[in-house]
Amino acid sequence: MEPASAGPAHLRPVIAGLGMTDLGKVYGRGTTWFAAEAVRRAAADAGLGLSDIDGLLVSSGVTRGPGLSLQRALDLRDLRLLSEMNSFGSTAGAMVQYAAMAVRAGMADVVACVFADAPLREGRSTGAAYGGAPAKGWVGLLGAGGAGGATTMYAMAARRHMMTYGTTSEQLGHVAVAQRAWAAMNPLAQMRTPISLEDHQSSRWVAEPFHLLDCCLVSNGGIAVIVTSAGRAASLARPPVHVLGWGQAHPGRFLRRDEDFGLASGAARSGPAALAMAGVSLDDIDVFELYDCYTYTVMITLEDYGLCGKGEGGALVSSGLLGPEGKLKVNTGGGQLSSYYMWGMTPLSEAVIQARGEAGERQVDRHELVLVSGNGGVLDHHSTLILGGTSR
Amino acid sequence: MTVGPVQRDEATAAFFDGTARGEFLLRRCPDCGTFLSPQAEQCPEGGTDLEWVPASGLGRVVTWSVVHGRGVFPTVVAAVVELDEGPWWWTQVTGPGLPDDLAGLRVRVDFARYEDNEAVPVFRPMD
Ligand SMILES: [Zn+2]
Repeated sequence: MEPASAGPAHLRPVIAGLGMTDLGKVYGRGTTWFAAEAVRRAAADAGLGLSDIDGLLVSSGVTRGPGLSLQRALDLRDLRLLSEMNSFGSTAGAMVQYAAMAVRAGMADVVACVFADAPLREGRSTGAAYGGAPAKGWVGLLGAGGAGGATTMYAMAARRHMMTYGTTSEQLGHVAVAQRAWAAMNPLAQMRTPISLEDHQSSRWVAEPFHLLDCCLVSNGGIAVIVTSAGRAASLARPPVHVLGWGQAHPGRFLRRDEDFGLASGAARSGPAALAMAGVSLDDIDVFELYDCYTYTVMITLEDYGLCGKGEGGALVSSGLLGPEGKLKVNTGGGQLSSYYMWGMTPLSEAVIQARGEAGERQVDRHELVLVSGNGGVLDHHSTLILGGTSR
Repeated sequence: MTVGPVQRDEATAAFFDGTARGEFLLRRCPDCGTFLSPQAEQCPEGGTDLEWVPASGLGRVVTWSVVHGRGVFPTVVAAVVELDEGPWWWTQVTGPGLPDDLAGLRVRVDFARYEDNEAVPVFRPMD
């Protein structure tokens, strides 16, 4: 890909606004309200009016979102770009990529990218929030047979990694413990009480080898970012976060003999593509904000980005490198495991906060280069962003 | 064993005709003979005119998870089974005599249905 620095400097893409609604057990609001409110807050954060928005990309979680009707909900006139997008957990990163390309091409000046979801209902269990898929056809058969559901499938992926490389539950526990330590310093986090490895090991089984503390939260809410050009951002309210590089990978699997299910993710390809585009190397990255639907996802993403050799992810995450005191700054807000679960917007929002240097107590000293991952399906879809912080 | 309700649609009609007869049907490419999963629409080598053929019903466990039940949901053992013909099937392994370590366990297909819904493949350890 062409380097992000190619083309006129004033058209280089930046993130100029971040909008987050209240997140977590927030009841009485639907996805349209969450999405609209997130866009309003992102525009206000950037110092823009809603009428400045000329591009809108909309993404939803398990609950059906507003889709294209969000335009009407926000009374946005004469958009030059509008789409509903979905590549599951990689969507947030992908939206920023398409918005960045639109800005670079001069197709749109101010693109709002928004995700909203409201699976939680008062008085209903979080497990039930993700149940109730229609029992028809192949998808119905998967569920009826007992092997449906993201947690079950990721658990089987993690088990395969364990069988092949000797990865252990205790090693994955280090990810949960480290991220909770970060979350303790994040006022936005839903779970802020520190946990120990023993807490992780004694938390109830959900789907072996996953304990409860291996699994992400479920949250209601919405998050939006404003992507615009460096030229436009120069006169706006907030320090721009540069979008320096990006990549996607969708490996495709036939699900038969010799497949690498559980052993590899798209990070192995989308990471190098994004780094090359940004003209930087893995060693240059100051902060990693990784999609962490499960502890295992963090481990295999670090492994596939190349922070260790194949199969050594378990040793890497349990070596004391993670957490606020560790050398490797990963999921500094607590991630989906401990802060809030807004799919790919969880790592992206924390990346913008860190890149701006506005993370308060948990702010990482060096934040010039932040890598953001998105992961969708069962390691089927991957996006990477390289963001440049304020000192760039 | 515990299976849930599932209904057929156009894409699954032939497969559920098979399960009703006690057969686990796979797709096979008539051009190169490759066996493909029941969901396949195309052979990796390009063939698109796939035929339905009964599988041996034998396989081995690639990976698995004990999915712990809560409330009305019972605990089940979910697994990826590699059929002897090559395709993988996301399923449950059930029955007496399940070892703690299911890696490589040889299994054979069986069928179960929830009330008057379609028959669903499940797998049991081979004797
Ligand atoms: Zn063929």
